[in-house]
Amino acid sequence: MELFEKTAQELSLLMEKKEIKAEELALSVSKRMEQTKDIINDYITANSEEELLLQARLVDEKRERGEKLSPLSGIPVGIKDNICQKGTVTSCASKMLENFVSPYDATVISKLRENDVIFTGKLNMDEFAMGSTCETSYFKKTKNPRNLEYCPGGSSGGSAASVAAGSSVVALGSDTGGSIRCPAAWTGIVGLKPTYGAVSRYGVVAFASSLDQIGPFGRCVDDVALLYNAIAGKDKMDATSINFNHPDYRSFKGQSIKGMKIGVPYEFFGEGLDEGVRSRIEDAKKLLTSLGACPVPISLPSCSYALSAYYIISSAEASSNLSRFDGIRYGHRAENTKDLTDLYVKSRSEGFGDEVKRRIMLGTFVLSAGFSDEYYSSAKKLQAVIKNEFKEVFNSCDLILTPTSPFTAFKLGQNSKDPVANYLADVCTVPVNIAGLPAISIPCGTVENNLPVGFQLIAPSFGEDRLFKSAYAYENAFGGFLGTAKL
Amino acid sequence: MKIDIDHLCKLSRLSIAEEKRELFAKQMSDIVEMASKLPPMKDDISFLDENNPMELREDVIMPSLQRDVLLSVAPDTQAGCVVVPKIIEREE
Amino acid sequence: MEYTATIGLEVHAELNTKTKIYCGCRNVFGGEVNSHCCPICMGLPGSLPTLNEKVVEYCIRMGHALNCKINRITKQDRKHYFYPDLPKAYQISQFDIPLCENGYIDAIIDDKGSTKRIGVTRIHIEEDAGKLIHDDAFRGSLIDFNRCGVPLIEIVSEPDMHSSDEAKAYLETLKQILLYLGISDCKMQEGSLRCDVNVSISPKGSDKLGTRVEMKNVNSFSAAVRAIDYEIARQKKVLEEGKQLHQETRKWDDANGCNILLRSKEDADDYRFFPEPDLITIVVPEEKVKAIKDSLPELPQKRTLRFMQDFSLPMFDANLLTENRDRGDFFEETCKNGANPKSAANWLNGDVARLLGEWNKELSNTSLTPENLAQMVKLIDKKVISNTAGKQVIEETMKTGKAPRQIINEKGLAQLSDESALSDIAEKVLSANPQVIEQYKNGKTNVVGFLVGQCMRESKGKGNPEILKNIILSKLSPLS
Repeated sequence: MELFEKTAQELSLLMEKKEIKAEELALSVSKRMEQTKDIINDYITANSEEELLLQARLVDEKRERGEKLSPLSGIPVGIKDNICQKGTVTSCASKMLENFVSPYDATVISKLRENDVIFTGKLNMDEFAMGSTCETSYFKKTKNPRNLEYCPGGSSGGSAASVAAGSSVVALGSDTGGSIRCPAAWTGIVGLKPTYGAVSRYGVVAFASSLDQIGPFGRCVDDVALLYNAIAGKDKMDATSINFNHPDYRSFKGQSIKGMKIGVPYEFFGEGLDEGVRSRIEDAKKLLTSLGACPVPISLPSCSYALSAYYIISSAEASSNLSRFDGIRYGHRAENTKDLTDLYVKSRSEGFGDEVKRRIMLGTFVLSAGFSDEYYSSAKKLQAVIKNEFKEVFNSCDLILTPTSPFTAFKLGQNSKDPVANYLADVCTVPVNIAGLPAISIPCGTVENNLPVGFQLIAPSFGEDRLFKSAYAYENAFGGFLGTAKL
Repeated sequence: MKIDIDHLCKLSRLSIAEEKRELFAKQMSDIVEMASKLPPMKDDISFLDENNPMELREDVIMPSLQRDVLLSVAPDTQAGCVVVPKIIEREE
Repeated sequence: MEYTATIGLEVHAELNTKTKIYCGCRNVFGGEVNSHCCPICMGLPGSLPTLNEKVVEYCIRMGHALNCKINRITKQDRKHYFYPDLPKAYQISQFDIPLCENGYIDAIIDDKGSTKRIGVTRIHIEEDAGKLIHDDAFRGSLIDFNRCGVPLIEIVSEPDMHSSDEAKAYLETLKQILLYLGISDCKMQEGSLRCDVNVSISPKGSDKLGTRVEMKNVNSFSAAVRAIDYEIARQKKVLEEGKQLHQETRKWDDANGCNILLRSKEDADDYRFFPEPDLITIVVPEEKVKAIKDSLPELPQKRTLRFMQDFSLPMFDANLLTENRDRGDFFEETCKNGANPKSAANWLNGDVARLLGEWNKELSNTSLTPENLAQMVKLIDKKVISNTAGKQVIEETMKTGKAPRQIINEKGLAQLSDESALSDIAEKVLSANPQVIEQYKNGKTNVVGFLVGQCMRESKGKGNPEILKNIILSKLSPLS
């Protein structure tokens, strides 16, 4: 087994015992990056072998000196390209920011630096995180390492594909409506969308501020816990981040889930659910039951409107957040413009792709005079209703189980003409963002064409401990997940 | 639902290519139609959450960013400033 | 036809907090271009705002001073428009729940101290924009982002004013309060106080308001008076020509004394306000709201009226004393130490103010104490020293903090009242000024003042001027 195929947890131990050096690991991952580059199209900016080795040597030196190191030290981590990292291009997969070298670090990047991780580079995504397939990227279309004819899901498709393919060991993504969980499910890895406010958004290029959260990807539960441990916590730079006591999430490994009540909302298992997906989810439910968990039928009726509310709220906020990309202080500026208005219109029209334009215009529409009551205010009211519904339901269960996505991965190019069809991929994940809750996508096998399926566990606010406890238990009983994709 | 693409373009400082306008309008009205399926909601909504108050920042000076670093990302600069086409009259 | 004008004002005041409203950059005027900027105030991708607690406190302070209801649970909203001086292309402001609302000011509108109550609709917090530099030396317009994120409060009045004089009185009262509360420097030349003016006119006696015209770019109080008078006259002319007025925004051009159309109502922007998702609910605890209220000083206009009444001061003097909180406190303390109020006021508003100006200092940065000022005023009143000598004493005690008595002794400034000594001085002055005596003979009796002045000079300010005057008169009278 090559080093890049091992989990962060294993690698961390090997380095701690000085059986391997960070440098050897960095070299292995760098070689793998070289292989995946043209097959998977995972990175937008891939750091060179030299850059990886340089970072790794520093970690090895620290270890030699006997410094106390974090379990993440020396672990190669990939970063979604909407997270600002000083000195590197942060493009958001957009022509608009093609040459934007961030002059500052996002809080999560600072935290990872403190943990001495090895930064492998910036990963592909849907442009400004708008999409469910990773196909709206200006630069490239990432392929699913489990089956190269399929997309990896989106928007954090590059992050998920990279972890699944072994061109990074763990990675950060962001999730506004399912952008971590959907690609995690479609590429057969684990992805966590934390409680809104649990991880600082400072330095993450905003899509929809009230819904965005950063979260970790890993090939096993432990790796996700390891990365989450490092990034969780209140940040003074983000007024929406929340003070909470976070335990070591790896401590939930091996705990029993006996007696845990798992709500199963029937609305998520209705029409439109792929039969292959349904049967894998049923298997997962059975396995959890066999571990002592009790399935409880529940209902979340308002969730059927969540997708509508989501598109209104997220587009409204996106139209506002993306108005700063005007070609003046940074980003793409059109040439040969005749006046200020011309500069604005040309820079923005050249810099943004169609999906982004569509959402900006939709958001502008729902906020415009005469319509904002009908759309934006209604959606916000619905958001309050959905939040409440979840709150009520959690009086009768500890966790909620749903499919992560009603389908398996789309074929590349499958829905390029029909945005609404793509939006349906997020129907199970969106309510979680609307309610601000934490959720994890856990692999539960594959269907034909080697396409992975994932199920989603949802917890009440700051119930990440429950998520990890049950994810660890499930993983153990399932016998481990898919591991690194063979290419 | 008829979407006034021209007006939205003007508000959002975007232009849509002629050949894409029809498709755009159709796609947008599809989305709007989906979005308008919201159930009627009577209750008045408060955007305030008293139980989750914001922590305010202390009025303490933090270092600013160096000018050349800030301007290094700008497309056009002169005399320590960002340059835009000559503006005749403030319209806002 | 006779018309009544109706005027409302929107005043933007920059707050003098240490840092900007949403980031830790220094909040200072001037400095090198683009030197007080960071990812947040420059609106870089990914940056987030955090609200400065002092901004909330200062706004509430103003709210209490203007008798407002304080909305201690509130939020902020985004106001969208594209302009190069606005980095995020939205301004973080407050839309439907201002921090303070429904207040009023009793502005003093004449020198008898009559007041007029002017309603204050709302006060909210928001961020300032950057500055555009237009200069033909450059190939385009340049942007300096230093001012981005400087905290502002916007104070919106009810349309309760009916003349430019009332508007001016309102503005001056506002400014005085801002200074008193210590929350704004109110330097109009630096743009820390700016106002937009709304004007409409309607036939006298009509209870319907006319069409409202908004005027921007009014950068001083005197400009406000000119802009309002101009706009009232313009609107009258339009109506008298039988034409219609339109709801529109105009720009005041103070240099040319006229305004020009900026945009009509149809072109009005759609600001697409919505709650700022990066900032959650502002909750100011009730105790804090109360503590801010309890810490408010007596407000200047109230104090002015009290000074006029209690100390029999003219409004001009009282106003000067209350313009600045320290000076008012100092004055009261001086009076408590037995000084005659009018003299104390004259010294504080006169020589002391002049010296502070020359030294570019605040009263608190000198060694002057109310006790010493009172002592000096009393010594002058008792004619121990002359007013002229007082000028030396005040300067010395401001510098050194020495008691006036000690200074008088050290410098020998006590007045000469000895008739024979003074007579010698008078003799000397008269013999040196034969041409003045000639003038006196020709009936110009007012030269006496000049001669007394010369005697004072000769006595190095120590001569008792009244005695000197008598001596001069007695020496001159035989000559006429």
